[in-house]
Amino acid sequence: MNGLLVAIKSELFVALRTFASKLIVAAPALIAAAQLLLVKLTEAGQQARDSLLGGSGFEQSVANNAYGFFVDGLSTGLTMLGLLLVAQGAYSFSYERDIGSIRHSLIRRVSRSSVLTAKLVHLHLLALLSVLLLLITSYLLSGMLWEYGAIAEDGFELISEQEIREEIWLGLRLALVPLPAAIAFGLLISVSAQSATQAVTTALGITLAIDIFKGLLGDMANYLYASFQPSLIDQSYLQSVSRIVRGYSDVLIDDSVLQLNMWVPFPALLLFFAAGLFIVQRRKI
Amino acid sequence: MPALSVTGLKKNYGSFSVLDDLNLQIEKGSIHGLVGLNGSGKTTTIECILGLQAFNSGSITALGQSPKQLHLTKGKLVAIFDSPSLHPNLTVRQCLQHALLLCEKPTRSAPDVEKLLGVSRFSDFKIKNLSLGNKRRTSIAQALLGDPEFVVLDEPFNGLDAEGVDDVLELISTLNRDHGTTFLLSSHQLPYLEQICSHIAILHQGKISHSDTISNLLGSTQTTLQIKTPEIEAASKVLEKIPGVELLSIDADGYLNISISDSDSIAINQALVENKIPVAELILKRASLAGLFREITSGDAR
Repeated sequence: MNGLLVAIKSELFVALRTFASKLIVAAPALIAAAQLLLVKLTEAGQQARDSLLGGSGFEQSVANNAYGFFVDGLSTGLTMLGLLLVAQGAYSFSYERDIGSIRHSLIRRVSRSSVLTAKLVHLHLLALLSVLLLLITSYLLSGMLWEYGAIAEDGFELISEQEIREEIWLGLRLALVPLPAAIAFGLLISVSAQSATQAVTTALGITLAIDIFKGLLGDMANYLYASFQPSLIDQSYLQSVSRIVRGYSDVLIDDSVLQLNMWVPFPALLLFFAAGLFIVQRRKI
Repeated sequence: MPALSVTGLKKNYGSFSVLDDLNLQIEKGSIHGLVGLNGSGKTTTIECILGLQAFNSGSITALGQSPKQLHLTKGKLVAIFDSPSLHPNLTVRQCLQHALLLCEKPTRSAPDVEKLLGVSRFSDFKIKNLSLGNKRRTSIAQALLGDPEFVVLDEPFNGLDAEGVDDVLELISTLNRDHGTTFLLSSHQLPYLEQICSHIAILHQGKISHSDTISNLLGSTQTTLQIKTPEIEAASKVLEKIPGVELLSIDADGYLNISISDSDSIAINQALVENKIPVAELILKRASLAGLFREITSGDAR
């Protein structure tokens, strides 16, 4: 246990002094902020054009609810965070093996399993900080650019703010559940690859390949952890939440899919991490 | 208990056998040099000892721990590798502070070891901006933050200037003398090893072919004298009569090679002069680690 604490301290010491960790924490929030600002600019341009053309000033009070943009920001940020975590997971161990620094830790104080566990913990901390920053940035910026409110039509409240928040919270939880598995997948590739470059390209390549092919797998895709995280070809529940909070009533989600979303990533996490521990014990460092 | 005990170590890379029944004992408090030709398996041996790669069979115990459990020595065993093995984006000071985290009981502070290794003025420099020599100094400084009982160094003199080599030799000597630190040094720099080591192990054809104190190893080798004279036959007859002199060969350049284990070059020179044999050159070749190494590995350079 002492060795694990030393390994975690060692990880955090380096993380606080290097650029990669800061990038993981800040990049998703920055990209979400950029998206929200661009949407607002486009929207302002559209409104200006409508008024010049003598438009009726039609108010899209439903579609322009800040909650919709908040969820879009989260979705974009989490898509980026998923890719960054896979890449950083793949990079972390293999890079330190490439430069040889990991040898000092192994010889002096910590076991191989502690090193890998410390990296898992460290990446989870980064993910947590990144999600918190993303939440704060998206929420504040969406509130500044649009207005939060209930979904109402003809003065009749269709969905209350409380219900919207509950849906967003559910969508967020379901989108976050696959991230630990993504981290463990990156680490598994990291301990298996011959170099850091190979590890990162392989991990990102496989992740993008899964993203492309999950559509072809049909219901089988529901047993893949990666199917549930926001991604380039997004099938996550957060995508549906974005429509729900904009007042679309055609969103039908099978409860069994939500259950699979909640529980499939855990065995994937355990499987990837156990395989990583098995490999790291046996490979040359 | 020895600091290191390696018994029957075998290591293959595929069908290629690198180490075959390697045995090595290093007593506490010694400075043990490990020498061998390129590709003889020195680095592989060190990596097996340090638990960085698996081996096919045999047993290794360093400070009472198996290679996979070396971390249980809690910093009493440290290693310095042929590449600096430092985070390129950390500064020298940060690298040392990072190493302090890995020391259970640090005995020196980061500024102290910076001063000791002469890298104080680079303490705010990032590792990636340092010269190879200064990276190596930082790497050594990092290893000395605790109070290691056993230090393994793989090619410690690579990239160091003359002053740096002297500093490292002095440091090894001081730590060994004052703290009883045991050292295992793998290097091609045989004169440096001869200068600093108490013991030498020669790794040849996958085995430790010789392992002993330097004096015992060199005691078994000859000091030779090369004599250039136009009267080789006459000189040979004179030299045959001197006790302790053994005629070895006459080489293509006309040098008469003799072994002088019980005699000295002054007596030989005097005998030749007294017999009016002109001497053009007299070259004394003392027994050296380099000579012994060449003798053992001759004809097997890969």
